Amino acid sequence: MLIASSTFATAASNETKESARRNSKVENRRARFEFPVSSFEPLMASFDQTAAFPRTGAIQSATGAGAWVTIREAFWIAVEALRAHKLRTFLTLLGVVIATATLIVVMSLINGMNLYIADHIANLGANVFIVHRYQWAQGYEAWLKARRRNKPILIEEFEYLRDNLKDYRNIGAEAEIQNINTYARFQSHTVYFVDIAGVTPNMIDIGMQKVESGRYITQPDYDHESLVCFIGQDLVNSFFPNVDPLNKEVLVDGIPFRVVGVAEKIGSTFGESQDNFVQIPLTTYQKFFSPRPSLEVNVQAWDAEQMMRLEDQTRALLRARRHVPYREDDTFGINASDTIMQTWHQITGAVFGVTIGIVAVFMLVGGIVIMNIMLASVTERTHEIGIRKSLGARRRDILMQFVIEASVMAGIGGGMGLLAAVLVSELVNLIVGPGFFNASIPVSAILVGLVLSTGVGLFFGIYPASQAAKLDPIEALRTEN
Amino acid sequence: MATRTGADSLRELQIPPDGVIIKADDLWKTYDMGEAIQVHALSGVSFDIDRGEYVAIMGPSGSGKSTLMNLLGCLDTPTRGNYWLNGHLVSELSDDELAYIRNKEIGFVFQTFNLLARASALHNVELPLIYSGMPARERLEKAEESLRKVDLAERMHHKPNELSGGQRQRVAIARALVNNPSIMLADEPTGNLDSATGEEIMGVFGRLHEAGHTILLVTHEHDIAAHAHRIIHVRDGRIERDERIG
Repeated sequence: MLIASSTFATAASNETKESARRNSKVENRRARFEFPVSSFEPLMASFDQTAAFPRTGAIQSATGAGAWVTIREAFWIAVEALRAHKLRTFLTLLGVVIATATLIVVMSLINGMNLYIADHIANLGANVFIVHRYQWAQGYEAWLKARRRNKPILIEEFEYLRDNLKDYRNIGAEAEIQNINTYARFQSHTVYFVDIAGVTPNMIDIGMQKVESGRYITQPDYDHESLVCFIGQDLVNSFFPNVDPLNKEVLVDGIPFRVVGVAEKIGSTFGESQDNFVQIPLTTYQKFFSPRPSLEVNVQAWDAEQMMRLEDQTRALLRARRHVPYREDDTFGINASDTIMQTWHQITGAVFGVTIGIVAVFMLVGGIVIMNIMLASVTERTHEIGIRKSLGARRRDILMQFVIEASVMAGIGGGMGLLAAVLVSELVNLIVGPGFFNASIPVSAILVGLVLSTGVGLFFGIYPASQAAKLDPIEALRTEN
Repeated sequence: MATRTGADSLRELQIPPDGVIIKADDLWKTYDMGEAIQVHALSGVSFDIDRGEYVAIMGPSGSGKSTLMNLLGCLDTPTRGNYWLNGHLVSELSDDELAYIRNKEIGFVFQTFNLLARASALHNVELPLIYSGMPARERLEKAEESLRKVDLAERMHHKPNELSGGQRQRVAIARALVNNPSIMLADEPTGNLDSATGEEIMGVFGRLHEAGHTILLVTHEHDIAAHAHRIIHVRDGRIERDERIG
């Protein structure tokens, strides 16, 4: 169509000179059309034909900027047509609205979770990886299998790694009590479900913890199996709201420990406070709670690149020591921020894949509804199409009009979906509360939502629009609505 | 555009002289009704119309005058024969090229007005300019000017259903005028109006003719045709009589 009309324009401009020559003659002839001065004078002046037939200018304006004018017209026709049928438009758009809303809500939830996981769970410390019985954040099946095969990391293995790994920055170990019926008591106050952990003194340099007052567990504490502890903010709030906690004696599962330090507040993860803990020397832990505890060995590397090499070294050393046969999986887990994020992304990727499928179905249905209503609209407006064609609308003008109408309609649906998504994610944040993750709508979701919905309208608008463009002007004019 | 063969360049030689705005040369319109039955709506119509003429085409229903009107209005192409409009060999053009010619060279006035119901008078008049790609400000000026010519400037923001029949037809005339067409093609322009309003509309056509416009009137009423200076009588797809009056 474009090619045809542009060749026509060139052909027409070839005729320009010819018609210009003719026009000058016409003007000479027009001199004969002098009329007597009458009361029509001003009216007649405006009828005067000397300014008629501005053929050169007219042909030029058919190219270039012209397309933009008709697109703008099509846009306003679309808005007018949609305003004339508000309810019908809304009902038509429901599919697209739901599809866009679903897409954006899921994207914002995943985005919020990603930020949360990266912040709270995968935040192990700078260049730190943790050797543990299990690989964290893996699927349920894999975990069941690991539960059968994997063995705890023992003190000997920690010492073996400490002595045989090369050129690490730090290596520490931590053991947590598995029994959940733990408590801590100070005078008449009791706090239940306290996390009791035995640590090596260097854990303060490796993890994300910071000392607020007092000190951490030291090497002498460790060597002498001292009864000292380092406590979290929850215990401070319960036991020592107005008193300095240092050097007070706290009963931990019935054993008296002297408080030597207090940790800075951490906050909560998935609604569970991370400040409800007591840390004691690992040696003391072994003596009173568990002689052969399952350890989390924290290895800190000098930089990210070296961390990869250290992970490989650790794996090789542990496999050799445990005699894991070649081709068999590790009987332990090596957990680092990036591997946790990777597994997490696998999970969210699956969720997202399902979402894409659902959204695609919604969009398909929504698109077909739009196509249906556009076909009805073309039938309804056959006469209008006839009028427009008689006034010089080309096929592509009519095509454009209906394609743009479908796109604008679907785009509005996308906008409504976006609005719904904003409401839903605000609601989620309100219900889950500020302690948990925040669903935040990423800009990419907004773009994808709007572009996708408009695209669906465009695609499903093409068929009805081509039906409209194909209409014969005579037939269309004859149709009465 | 169709490729130019030897025959075409022969036709080029027959380009009508300057004063002739319409040249119909042996126009045929044939409809295939299947099973080799052919109906000739037009069988070999030829005539010339000069610039500035006021011509009425008359004929009973079924005479082929509607078909002729559609051909002259570039809404349709002839099965056979050549049709020149203002120097363009229209009978050879494609759909979009015909649309272009309709936009630039022809102003339609219909019996049923054919205005867009939801658009104001002004927007209705603007339509042809929109399809010729004119920028908004220029378009508005021209549309207003055109409405002023038919004495409707003060009602230009009204929608068709807020206007009387005569006013609607004047909006349609303003719309036909706005692109300065070579010919104005009026199909029973008074058919839906009472006789007083009909006379008023015919008065507008009269003034337009005096101002130099070429007007083609299709009608079956003798009173209306009498306003023209030349009447072409059509019957059974042929020109029966071509008379000049006054």
